[in-house]
Amino acid sequence: MIEGPPVKPAPPFNMKFNLRDAGTLFGLILIVVVFASLTPVFLTAPNLINILQQSSINAAIALGMTLVIISGGIDLSVGPTAALSAVISASLMVAGVPIPLAIVASLGVGMMCGLFNGVLVAYAGLQPFIVTLGGLSLYRALSLIYTGGNPIFGIPPEFRALTNGDLMGVPNPVIIVGIIALILWVVLNKTPLGEYILAVGGNEEAARIAGVPVARTKVATFVISGCLASVAALILVGRLGAAEPTIGNLWELDAIAAAAIGGASLMGGKGSIVGTLIGAIILGALRNGLTLMNVQAFYQLLATGIIIIVAMLIDRATRGR
Amino acid sequence: MNISIKTLLAASTLALTVGAANAQDLSPLNSDSEPDRMDWSELETKFGAFPEVPEGTRVGGVSKTLTNEYWRSLGEGYANTAEANSVEFVYQAAANEGDQLGQLSIAETLITQGFNALLLSPQTDANLLPAYETAVAQGVPVLNVNDAVIPSVANYVGNVQKDNGVRVAQWFLDNTDGGKVAVIEGQPGVFAAGQRTAGFTETAEAGGLEVVASVPANWSRELAFNAASTILQQHPDLIGFYANNDGMALGVMEAVKAAGLQDQVAVFGTDGISDAYDSIRAGDLTGTVDSFPVLTGEIALEVVLRMLDGQDLPRVVATPQALITADNVDQYATSDMGALREVLLAQ
Repeated sequence: MIEGPPVKPAPPFNMKFNLRDAGTLFGLILIVVVFASLTPVFLTAPNLINILQQSSINAAIALGMTLVIISGGIDLSVGPTAALSAVISASLMVAGVPIPLAIVASLGVGMMCGLFNGVLVAYAGLQPFIVTLGGLSLYRALSLIYTGGNPIFGIPPEFRALTNGDLMGVPNPVIIVGIIALILWVVLNKTPLGEYILAVGGNEEAARIAGVPVARTKVATFVISGCLASVAALILVGRLGAAEPTIGNLWELDAIAAAAIGGASLMGGKGSIVGTLIGAIILGALRNGLTLMNVQAFYQLLATGIIIIVAMLIDRATRGR
Repeated sequence: MNISIKTLLAASTLALTVGAANAQDLSPLNSDSEPDRMDWSELETKFGAFPEVPEGTRVGGVSKTLTNEYWRSLGEGYANTAEANSVEFVYQAAANEGDQLGQLSIAETLITQGFNALLLSPQTDANLLPAYETAVAQGVPVLNVNDAVIPSVANYVGNVQKDNGVRVAQWFLDNTDGGKVAVIEGQPGVFAAGQRTAGFTETAEAGGLEVVASVPANWSRELAFNAASTILQQHPDLIGFYANNDGMALGVMEAVKAAGLQDQVAVFGTDGISDAYDSIRAGDLTGTVDSFPVLTGEIALEVVLRMLDGQDLPRVVATPQALITADNVDQYATSDMGALREVLLAQ
């Protein structure tokens, strides 16, 4: 393997809104049309805003997850990372630390968790699945120990106003996640880091030979994922007005589902920011529509499972591999 | 990478528009000790006969999860009262007891459908707060039903959690000569678990029993089995266990049987699920504190309909509970709620 295949630069941008994203969007439109015809409340503005609001936390997590998945990794520790970051930032705020500082601390906690995962994966050569499985227990334990299992109440109203406010009717969490998606789209499609992430996921050995800083690229994806887990945590803390050490249970699975529906391949090298965003909205819309139709949660799970598998089958059929 | 993270930081700290913060004028609710309370049996005497329900009244209920019999039974009770009064009723629950965001989504989605009133049984004290605040802002009455407590909630229906533990401890004081007992706790940090444990431990220790262990098993039968096995190894002279719910009590029971100590160790649970009744009849489980979920559901829906009628009810309406043992198991094991009400009222 001295002459590895050359690392391809990212394709030109005009090819970026590809067939796969169009397919995901079509799936979303299909779901919206079906629910709109079944229940009149579905297509009202407050309900659509509701769906976006409810999807925003999963979307934030899933966007970070997408980068990790594209680079060939997986991050199972996002939920507990969010919990740890939530309880630490909440306790700081309750103790009277200025809000911007508490926000920075929260993001710092998430990035530290990501850094820990990333270093173990990239430099110690451990498998991402196992490292982040360990992180899943580790960070959950830290947040439980830190709080003694108790929720932290008394979040300052000034902070809650950040996440509960809206801009021209669009809730702030939706705007925040929208901005993050835009930034990540630029990172993935227009910066060297994006090229590196795609290259490392596509063919790690070839990327290494071509001079891509493989280890640092992997660490970067985990740090971003941890940081976005913190963003999700902050949104949730603001919305709940409390931080609980138990939040984030099974968030990793919802995030992986959104990324997969959006076209991310767990083999690495493939994935789309736009697709993941739509994937998260599909899951949110599905849950919302089924609740409106008074379908019990057990069947909602069933529907989610079917959607994921159907999306994968379509993926396979249209992309060949 | 540096640039992208800085931008992220900036984006997240963007000061956006400021929404109105909800003023919370009620003091945080402790459903066990709140002074503004009444017993369910006084509803009729204090507030008169059940009011006529306006036609087209719609009530929505969100509970923890339907994988637990307690919440299925509660929904049955809701449906009984709803049907009797021609109220349109919708009952939803999250897929599992850990799906806090899913439950919040369900509650928010129900609010958009414009129900006249909502019955909420949150998974944690905090996870349904946004839905509660939205409903209140829209003028929709909300009733918090068992067992996690939304701190700012104006109306709550449920049993006195602490009393569960007190009743079991009292049984040990009345029926044994004292000795070592142990507690298998529910999820740490959950109000009901803490209160049940505290009620048992305080009463037991005041009465001279020795509480040698008190460990959490997170509502899990398997964890309870393991914990009980360990405790029995350490304290083979133990005389009894109190578990914070029936599922765990049944796990404890298996551990006691495996150790061959069923003649020496009494095991009590909480909730009164049907498996517990069966086990009591079979002579395995010593007892449980039944909080009558079906009846609780009926009462909760009655309370919310009275609220819609404009009645100014106390903040807490306490629902019935009773210690069930082999002596009285048949008396309480009835699916006829009218008969059950009479048994309880006659107490």
